[in-house]
Amino acid sequence: MSLDMHTDDSHNSHNSHGAHHEHPDDVGSRNRLGVILILVADISFALSMMFVFFYLKSQNINNMWLPEATEDSPAITPLSSMPAWIVTSVAAVGLLFHYLGLKGARVGAQGTLKNFSFLALLASIAGTVYQWNTIATAPFTFHQGTYVSAFYLLTIMNLVHLMLTILISLGNWNRSRLGLYKSDHWHVDIVRVWWTWMAISSGLGAFCLSLA
Amino acid sequence: MSTLTMSTTKRKPLIERLNVFTAFFFGALFAIVAWRLSLTFLPADSESAPRFTREDKITLLSMTAWFVGFMFGIGALIGPARWIMGKDLSHEEAMFYAGKNMGIKRYFRYTTDHKVVGIQYLVITMVIFGIGGIMAMMIRTNLAHPGGDLIHPQAYNSLVGTHGILMIVGAIIMVTGPFGNYIMPIMIGARDMAFPRLNALSFWLIVAAAIPLIWGQFIGGISTGWTAYNPLAGQAPLGMNGYIMYICIFALSTMVAGANITTTVVKMRAKGMTWNRTPIFIHGVVASVALALPAFPTFFLSQVMSGMDRGLGTNFYDTKGGGSGWLYEHLFWLMGHPEVYVILIPAVAALMEMAPVFTRRPLYSFTTAVVGIAGIAGLSVLVWAHHMYMSGWAPLLNAPFMLTTELISIPTGMLFLVLVGTIWRGRVWVTMPMLSIYALLWNFMIGGVTGIYLSDVPADASFHGSMYVTAHFHYTLMGAGLTGAIASLVYWFPKMTGRMFDKKLSWISFWMTQIGFNLAFMGMFAVGLAGQPRRVEAYDQMFNTGNLVTTIGAYIIMAGMLVLLAGVIHSWKYGQKAPTNPWHAKTIEWTVPNPVPLENFDVLPEVHEDPYSYGKKKEFV
Repeated sequence: MSLDMHTDDSHNSHNSHGAHHEHPDDVGSRNRLGVILILVADISFALSMMFVFFYLKSQNINNMWLPEATEDSPAITPLSSMPAWIVTSVAAVGLLFHYLGLKGARVGAQGTLKNFSFLALLASIAGTVYQWNTIATAPFTFHQGTYVSAFYLLTIMNLVHLMLTILISLGNWNRSRLGLYKSDHWHVDIVRVWWTWMAISSGLGAFCLSLA
Repeated sequence: MSTLTMSTTKRKPLIERLNVFTAFFFGALFAIVAWRLSLTFLPADSESAPRFTREDKITLLSMTAWFVGFMFGIGALIGPARWIMGKDLSHEEAMFYAGKNMGIKRYFRYTTDHKVVGIQYLVITMVIFGIGGIMAMMIRTNLAHPGGDLIHPQAYNSLVGTHGILMIVGAIIMVTGPFGNYIMPIMIGARDMAFPRLNALSFWLIVAAAIPLIWGQFIGGISTGWTAYNPLAGQAPLGMNGYIMYICIFALSTMVAGANITTTVVKMRAKGMTWNRTPIFIHGVVASVALALPAFPTFFLSQVMSGMDRGLGTNFYDTKGGGSGWLYEHLFWLMGHPEVYVILIPAVAALMEMAPVFTRRPLYSFTTAVVGIAGIAGLSVLVWAHHMYMSGWAPLLNAPFMLTTELISIPTGMLFLVLVGTIWRGRVWVTMPMLSIYALLWNFMIGGVTGIYLSDVPADASFHGSMYVTAHFHYTLMGAGLTGAIASLVYWFPKMTGRMFDKKLSWISFWMTQIGFNLAFMGMFAVGLAGQPRRVEAYDQMFNTGNLVTTIGAYIIMAGMLVLLAGVIHSWKYGQKAPTNPWHAKTIEWTVPNPVPLENFDVLPEVHEDPYSYGKKKEFV
């Protein structure tokens, strides 16, 4: 993934407006730092969600973290965290595929890059579908206590991450399919940074849900 | 044949057809379609539902659709889409995006040139301050006599809330937006920002964010004050959704701007520009955006949860459902206090940049200035709960938070020391920016000293929620922050417009604003100390004199601001043509000609000295 792709047909990297040439490594290094800084914001967002989860759980105001049964609704019990770990595992597998593709790109094996990028794309789609299913089949509604609120927050935000990953992986695979990474592959390396964080953040969500 | 060459014989390519008008068109279209579809298909709330959320869902969906439509219409999605398709922008397209040979039209497009973005930021900052200022005048007019009565209490509450959040956003972008974009890349010897398209994105996100806030005014407004505390915000009218969307979109803008500016400075400084040779303004801008980068996501999350409570019926903040108002306060102030320094640091750094120029002396202890900036940035994330002393949350932690808050006076004092040390025995060239340094020292001293009382738990028990607090933060954000921003405008005006700012108008504006400001907020301190609560539209007769003085001061500020506006317009159009380096300053931006060429430099500069080597033979560049 690149923040700014000012590259011409021959894939020489340009500066901001494309007139002065820069070495691809310089452009890649700059893009990599930009992505990492954006991830700093995303990491802060994820840590804040963890704070919300544990704050609400530890406060358990009015015993509404997991409300007991009433005339209108049954008692709320935490769902198994297994689906969250499955999503994380799928994300980890996707990261592994992407990394294998990157290894291929580093030695100039374009076919390897293309195939593993495709597998990473499939993993992101599978993770998204599975995460959506987890949300859609959850046996409670939004207003049933704070565990439920926190559950939806974590899963919906993870779903957003996964959907972004589909777009990024689609682009990565398509670009590798078109042979755009023959001369340099810093885009692929930056996509790996994203994949790594996506898998970690998914794991952080699963970790929270395991301690519900 | 390139896409752009083909455009002479075929239909214009998409990137040439999109501009601010198509953005508004598609934004409105998407919003209307989403509104209509959700009206049709969203089921009615069940009679037994604990909360009725259908209208909130419809409003939030429509506002989200507006946002998507606007970003599509301005062309923000073209870059990512082209990346996915593997059709990267050609050289011609990149130059089109940069606004080459496009004249005034480039200001209405998704233009990537940092100088265009800087001017766009300058204009939108002035518009934001204009609207927020009109609201301030309505508030002060209503408070000119004890009974209020001019404005309905609900509308008054909404005015106060909207004024607050507008001014905060305006203040956040007032230095890093116009000058961080226009001046900073040239100052470090770069041809543009690291990510020009993200630069354009950060600006247009602010425009996209403004509409939901305005929209919210017509559907109940923001009746909670700018802090939008929950669970109050959860019970507020539909207009609260406008606030939620505004903050969420603005947080995205802050994130991309922060990543962009930081990367630009870290990776694109001129050869030889070590950190010790990097101008202090750059240190200030980087500290500000780097601080905002982790701080704003907590605010973003607080609003996502607020939206979920309103639209989906979750229970993050509703105590009955197990939620907590304190949770909101934590998330809000984890952003809220660093944000004060996000505003202040670049404004003070800009004045520190000017002090050596107008005293012809080196900056007094560059290292102290950098340590001061870093100290403020570091400590600012450890003080948030001083806003919660009286909320009842963890009284045992009040003392540690009092300590961290009072510690922040030390690095702040270091910045004072640097400014005073630079001016001391200097050959002062009395210009409006130089006067602003004196004004900052005065205003910031009052803002800082009164802040120490608020950081003190026993004193805060008395002052909390009073007009004293309002006067205090106006002294810091306006008296120090805005003073620095206006000085920056006058100082860098020649480089940004090619013309000198009218000297007489800048002086008249300065004195009117500063006199009016001190009158207004001293009066506010007086009524606050006497016990007048903030956010009230009517008050007891005993507070009448102080409020009248404040209102008179506010009118003088308004007059001063109108003179400033007249100065901007007049100078931009008819001002004396500016030489390349009218202040005889040593930083790089003053070496490039007016108007600044598209790519700033033919040959990238090399730096051999520190930028404050006044009185030394060696040149900076």
